[in-house]
Amino acid sequence: MMIDKYKGISPTADLDLLRILGARFSGRRLLNVNSTRSGGGVAELLGRIVPFLTDLGIDVRWETIEADNGFFGITKKIHNALQGGRERFTHAMWDHYEEENGKNADALDLNADVVFIHDPQPAPLIKAKKSGKWIWRCHIDMSSPSRTVARRILKYVKKYDASVFSVAQFAPPLARPEFVVLPSIDPLSEKNRGLPVSDISAIAGKFDIPLDRPVLVQVSRFDRFKDQIGVIKAYRLVKKYNDCCLVLAGSPASDDPEGEKVLNEVMEFAGQDKDIKILLLPPGSGTEINAIQRLATIVLQKSLKEGFGLTVSEAMWKGKPVIGSAVGGITSQIVHGVNGFLVYSIEGAAFRARQLLNNTRLISEMGRSAREHVRKNFLITRQIRDYLAIWAALENRGASEIQLAM
Amino acid sequence: MEAQCRPGAGAAKNPFCFNQCIKLAKSTGKKARNLSELMSLIRIVPETSIYHHTYEYYFKGRALEYTNDFAHWAGEFLEARVLGDNLSVIDPFAHKSIKSLRNELLNAIEAFLLNFPNPGNVLPGHEFYFMDTVTFIFPAGLSASSLEEFLSAIGQADASSIYYHFYEARSRVSCADDFSLWISSTPAGAELAEKISSIDPFMHSTEDIRQLLAGYVEEELGKEAAAAR
Repeated sequence: MMIDKYKGISPTADLDLLRILGARFSGRRLLNVNSTRSGGGVAELLGRIVPFLTDLGIDVRWETIEADNGFFGITKKIHNALQGGRERFTHAMWDHYEEENGKNADALDLNADVVFIHDPQPAPLIKAKKSGKWIWRCHIDMSSPSRTVARRILKYVKKYDASVFSVAQFAPPLARPEFVVLPSIDPLSEKNRGLPVSDISAIAGKFDIPLDRPVLVQVSRFDRFKDQIGVIKAYRLVKKYNDCCLVLAGSPASDDPEGEKVLNEVMEFAGQDKDIKILLLPPGSGTEINAIQRLATIVLQKSLKEGFGLTVSEAMWKGKPVIGSAVGGITSQIVHGVNGFLVYSIEGAAFRARQLLNNTRLISEMGRSAREHVRKNFLITRQIRDYLAIWAALENRGASEIQLAM
Repeated sequence: MEAQCRPGAGAAKNPFCFNQCIKLAKSTGKKARNLSELMSLIRIVPETSIYHHTYEYYFKGRALEYTNDFAHWAGEFLEARVLGDNLSVIDPFAHKSIKSLRNELLNAIEAFLLNFPNPGNVLPGHEFYFMDTVTFIFPAGLSASSLEEFLSAIGQADASSIYYHFYEARSRVSCADDFSLWISSTPAGAELAEKISSIDPFMHSTEDIRQLLAGYVEEELGKEAAAAR
């Protein structure tokens, strides 16, 4: 079974509870609905979770909504507005958002014992609920959203049996249960499994990344909230004192029409600096991302807003200290000064990078601590365990303690 | 060798069955930016939320500078280190009810405000978020009928198992941990149990506790072996 592959990696209690809850829900129906099968953390995570749950004996389906480009342009704006960006909406846009969801509600089989609807794109599907427990899973940073847009989306969310947020800061006050489930990484995926040194060297060669000098790396999709331009500014401050190069790597997502525009802006800002490598990797480049994170001396995640920032845990799992912005879920992953640094500015990121580049022992110690922190808190087995636990909690409405037998 | 040949050496009346637990986090949707808001919310949030921020602090598994979430927030985010220290000496296990614990928390904050300037608001994003949990308790599949088996099980048990029997037990079993209660029923008896129950629970992580328990039990087994020789 898939679960057996995690023995010796994941905490024992997580695996034991997965077996217990897997047996309890065996044969019952669980449905996930999101907006894309490729690109971005949600699709990647579902790609791992669905087969795992299926293997536990649960009848799992994963559906994606189909819509035109206009719809995804609108939902991108909703996404930005919920993360605090300024966006303008017309009545026609909201109508189109509802219409496309209505078409999907007609086309999809939404019958299941438990339904997880991911992010705002398919949130209005709740109007088609007939049975089962419906849970809205929000993966984005809603700590300071546009109030108008939040009100509009929460109108749907209030109809769900429960909602799930990545950190407590994102959870607005709601009358229904709100669970907090930190996202996770899969230690056995192509992106996170151990790699031979020869593979890492080959990939470094393929992208012309030097291995004889320190390498700063940020892996993230090309999105303004990831602040790649801020990373280049920080790198330039570091470069004054410490020779190094910078790798900015990311994959495009099919639900993100802005990605190309941001990529062009970043390339223009990088100019002719041959020590900056900007890599747009096609979907399915897990091994390349894995190698780039492993060859990094230090990993940065200088996001301005962040739902969670799975790339932080990915790098930590590879024993890298991460310098991350003190935003969203990054603050849940990095214990400042213990397994990385939380920073508030470009200057702060540059200062901490210099501190690490001049203390290799600190890099090793923080890296070791980072890996153990991820093992205990951010592996996929813990997240799947939490989803099944939510299902069990909703079936034991209101109980603050649930005793289970083997 | 001789000690192992003595039938029933180190055997307890009933085996110790290890449980383990996980905590599913819930948001109450309530947050405080400053001490006034913190006090208002401490007065009204569900008992389970107060329990989570105090008793369950050690579930996080690492020894931190403080001993509960309120103290940690005051010290690190309000930068009111005196209050952080004062809240850290509050012992939740000494309280018979959450109501009484709530009052002690409120009294400590009030006393601080009488003697020190109000630290004002924290930076946006660093508010205190009141949480709650659903606890799932389930067997660890480990049991011990003797100190030898106990030592082996302690080495294998998940960290949540150590937490459940050493920390959470105190809110179930009149301030005592499950380990010392069980060990007092073994022939090794009172002395080893006393040693375990005298560990300061607030100054150790669950991994520290595992190491201490293993060390004490090994020492006891060594004594038994020497006596048998």
